Amino acid sequence: MARSPVRPAAPVTRRGNWEVSARRSSATLRLADLSPLAKVQVRSRSQTEDVMGVPFGRAERDGPGYLVIGEGPGVWLALGPSGRELAMRAQFDAVGGPSFTTVTDLTHGYALGRLTGEQARAVLSKLCPVDLSARNAPNGAVFRTLFAGLVACLVRDDVDGALSYLCYCERSSGQYLFDVIMDAGGEFAIDADGYPGTEI
Amino acid sequence: MVTIARARNSTRDMRAGRRPGELIDRATSLGFTWNGRRYSGFQGDTIVSALAASGEKFFSRSFKYHRPRGILTANFHDPNCIVQVDDEPNVRAAHRRLRGGMTVKAQNVWPSLAWDIAAVNGAFPRFLSAGFYYKTFIKPQRLWPAYERVLQHFAPGGRLPASSAGGEYDKRYAHPDVLVAGGGPAGMAAALAAAEAGASVMLVEEEYELGGHLRYGRAGELALLADLRRAVAEQDGVEVLLNSVVTGRYDDNWVGVLQRELPNAGERLIKARAKMLVVAPGLIERPYVFEGNDLPGVMLSTAARRLVNLYAVKPGQRAVVFTGNDDGIAAAEDLGDIGTEVLRVVDARRGEGVRRAIGRGQVSGVELDGGTELACDLLVTSVGWTAPTSLLNMSGDIPRYDERAARFVPGRSAQPNVMATGGIVGDGSADELVSHGRAVGAAAAARAHGGNETGAPELVPRPHPALFRASTHGFVDFSEDVSSKDIFSAAQEGYDSAELAKRYTTATMGPGQGKLETVNTVAVLAEATGRTIAETGTTVWRPPYVPISLGALAGRLHAPVRYSPMQPWHEARGAVPLVAGQWVRPEHYGDPGAEVRNVREKVGIIDVTPLGKLDLRGPDVPKLLNLLYVNKWSKLEVGSVRYGVMCAEDGVVLDDGVTGRLGEDHYLMSTTSSGAGAVWEWLENWLQCSYPDWLVHVTQMTTAYASINIAGPSSRHLLGRLVSDVDLSPEAFPYMHVRTGSVAGVPDCYMWRIGFTGELSYEIHVPAGFGLYVWERLLAAGGDLGVGAFGVEAQRIMRLEKGHMIVAQDTDGLTEAFSAGLEWLVKLDKPDFIGKPELVFEHEKGPGSKLVGLQPVDPGVVPAEGSQILTDDRVIAGRVTSSRMSPTLGRSVCLGFVIAELASPGSVVTVHLPDGNDVAATVMPQLAHFDPEGARLRG
Repeated sequence: MARSPVRPAAPVTRRGNWEVSARRSSATLRLADLSPLAKVQVRSRSQTEDVMGVPFGRAERDGPGYLVIGEGPGVWLALGPSGRELAMRAQFDAVGGPSFTTVTDLTHGYALGRLTGEQARAVLSKLCPVDLSARNAPNGAVFRTLFAGLVACLVRDDVDGALSYLCYCERSSGQYLFDVIMDAGGEFAIDADGYPGTEI
Repeated sequence: MVTIARARNSTRDMRAGRRPGELIDRATSLGFTWNGRRYSGFQGDTIVSALAASGEKFFSRSFKYHRPRGILTANFHDPNCIVQVDDEPNVRAAHRRLRGGMTVKAQNVWPSLAWDIAAVNGAFPRFLSAGFYYKTFIKPQRLWPAYERVLQHFAPGGRLPASSAGGEYDKRYAHPDVLVAGGGPAGMAAALAAAEAGASVMLVEEEYELGGHLRYGRAGELALLADLRRAVAEQDGVEVLLNSVVTGRYDDNWVGVLQRELPNAGERLIKARAKMLVVAPGLIERPYVFEGNDLPGVMLSTAARRLVNLYAVKPGQRAVVFTGNDDGIAAAEDLGDIGTEVLRVVDARRGEGVRRAIGRGQVSGVELDGGTELACDLLVTSVGWTAPTSLLNMSGDIPRYDERAARFVPGRSAQPNVMATGGIVGDGSADELVSHGRAVGAAAAARAHGGNETGAPELVPRPHPALFRASTHGFVDFSEDVSSKDIFSAAQEGYDSAELAKRYTTATMGPGQGKLETVNTVAVLAEATGRTIAETGTTVWRPPYVPISLGALAGRLHAPVRYSPMQPWHEARGAVPLVAGQWVRPEHYGDPGAEVRNVREKVGIIDVTPLGKLDLRGPDVPKLLNLLYVNKWSKLEVGSVRYGVMCAEDGVVLDDGVTGRLGEDHYLMSTTSSGAGAVWEWLENWLQCSYPDWLVHVTQMTTAYASINIAGPSSRHLLGRLVSDVDLSPEAFPYMHVRTGSVAGVPDCYMWRIGFTGELSYEIHVPAGFGLYVWERLLAAGGDLGVGAFGVEAQRIMRLEKGHMIVAQDTDGLTEAFSAGLEWLVKLDKPDFIGKPELVFEHEKGPGSKLVGLQPVDPGVVPAEGSQILTDDRVIAGRVTSSRMSPTLGRSVCLGFVIAELASPGSVVTVHLPDGNDVAATVMPQLAHFDPEGARLRG
């Protein structure tokens, strides 16, 4: 059985190979642990967006429903349903064509959380120095930033029109990442939410 | 000694009838104590307004002379109303809102505020005159420690109890288009206009409510205030921060904002990057310098108006008002409205003046120019204004003196992303201030977004009589007890520039930071030197605008921590934690010696997840490895592992580890735990900056895998119980090889046959999510083999027994590869590698010192790491870098650096212990103390 780096909020259940939280929060500001999602990195010498169809600094959903994050020049991270990492690797192996391209499974390499709610921006403004205003960070914006002393990636990925951010960092700092977000969100009545399902 | 007891008036109710703009909620009474005595006030009172309503007039003793002090400004900047509240020192009591249950005490008094022994200082003013710090306590020098102990008792400020829980502090970032510093009429109007133009606005106000001077104004001003507040509340895009202050402006409009008294934190520092900064702090009323100007009962007109109109407090029974403007007249009218008898309005515009305030402990009368004396308990002064130009100063502006208005005004040379509005610019009616604010706000929004600006209406300072000092001397700086006489003395002693006089006398250097004091200091200095104020100039105002607590600057403690997937198991087994960089690791589980014996005799497992792991892919990886490592890599076969050492350009050892070839173009590099991040950056730096054409992708995988080392004679047996798709036999999987397979059913695990402990061992790297699962399966599967977990300490002991060095422990920032005993590894016949030129040089001249194995002659002595190694002449010849008692050998073992002359095997060196004793130690033939042939490792 695989475990997330983040202690799951009770009650705990099992989804596929993963131990996850089955908690359902109705709070207006929620933090959920999405670490079990498949995470596959694609790197290509060709730095054009043609390789994955997404430019650096943006995140977009592709045909199969993966969220493709342009996290650096010639570097993408694709998020997909939990357990799909092998299929994703196989799919991405050919995307680079003749360009030098590598595909690496980082499912276990990152802790991944989703912060949802109108106060999400206020919470994040206590932790990272990026200008998160709608003008500077519209839906789909991607930032690599210092986050409470930690290097992390922020992706604005609204859910059904509600303000929402994905945040990921190296797995070993996952618990710390969640702890600082919960601490910063205390004044806004943040609540821990459970694993929402296999889809991103 | 002046005591305040005789003038005490504390039982009198000084609360006036209801005022139109009052902030107090008369339905909510709050109890608190002041110097141990019970008082009550209303919700909305400040601490001082509540005390003043109860008839109290004395709130502090002055810094040097311990003179009794009362209300001067009745706001945050009041230098005389700084108190201790509960365990919080230095609270601005004329600003801080009253809270039920507060324990409020006077600071820096002994034994009490009323009877303060240090008030005796007032009898010897000549010993405490300007610059006395620089003239006294110099000789004899040996007595300075005694002086210091005594002087510490006189340090101003409250006391932070050792038992204090400390405060909660917070931090936040903000990126407003327009940040408006000051929420008076002009500031509110600027914020509104900017927001209406589409700008995001942060409006920062020092008080608990918006409004500035409108708050204590007349009916028309209160109506305008209500309209402005309503408009701000309804306007989208304006974030209002009350009880907050802009602390400073830095390059590119980086603006610090301090928020106070938040629900979740005592203070929060906001780091704002504003496209435009609008400075709208209004004006600060200036005190007048005359004899007795610090007596309780002497206050500014704005203080009187705040007390009367915001808190419905009568500042006195019989008042004299000295004014040079209409604000003093308004104060006199306010006082009259609440029943204070205004004996006389002394108007400087008619050539009248005040000579001195009379009284002991508080005002009992006033002597006017010409000698007339009036008996009163309140003297209100209104002699002019100071434009608080500090934020403009910080933006490059140099204020200029406007002689007609008798005040400094902005020099209009601030950066283009900084603008000013309101009283700081000039005078006008409330409507004129609003008009100016709106124009500046709209212009700021346009400038922020690159739009077209329209001009602002003129706002010109009105003429005002130059009123700085009477014919008598008085205090210039109430915080530091600096008088006009002190300024004259400083000038006579040659400190005739404003900056020098400031530092010599400490005028403007107290908690007020010059807001009340700077202009009077300059004016008195100008008078003393015979120059004009314009010629004298002003001092430079630097951040912070107000004192900031260290806690607020530190903010929330954000110290990232890293955990392995097996951390819950370690915690549950009571492992002693070891903090190594950001990682928390198990140092041991109770008995590291027993853990060593278990590994040497049976089998143990250790969590080595922090080991750096870099995934290298591409056809040019061998080129990269040959560049970085000092040894050769071109012929590493798939499935093989090789040890390597990296050096910097200066030949100094940077890191070490093993790299395995997993596939044709696929490698996995391991680094030291502490070097994982630095080596990654090192690789990327060379690839991106020097060899961008090489086809190599480096991916940080350190925490993508949980890493477990299985060590001991039974390690093969144990691992074999969980691995079915890899042949673990020594023939099929020999030492220094790598395989990929499943462990406990978890696929895609890497297995290395290497050994840091010197035992037969396997290092397995498991997808991190499965780390705890595999760890527990290993322990369950090996119960009959005696498997046990071992911690970092046992590992350190075993690697020392085996003579394996640790980079950065057994090397330092000067250790080149040959000094580290790596001559067997360095291949100078390679065409090139990083550090080669320096290593060629070191090879030719020979290393100055060398890492060697050492064994103390007395096997029971373990020299402390860092112990010096001495020559016979007791010259330092090296040091012990690692030392432990070996449970395996039953004796102490060490590694250490010694000079080349002492590095020969069999040499006996002297190790100087920290306790002063010496112990002899023998240099060993090799670094390894245990199994030097490596038979166990290769078994």
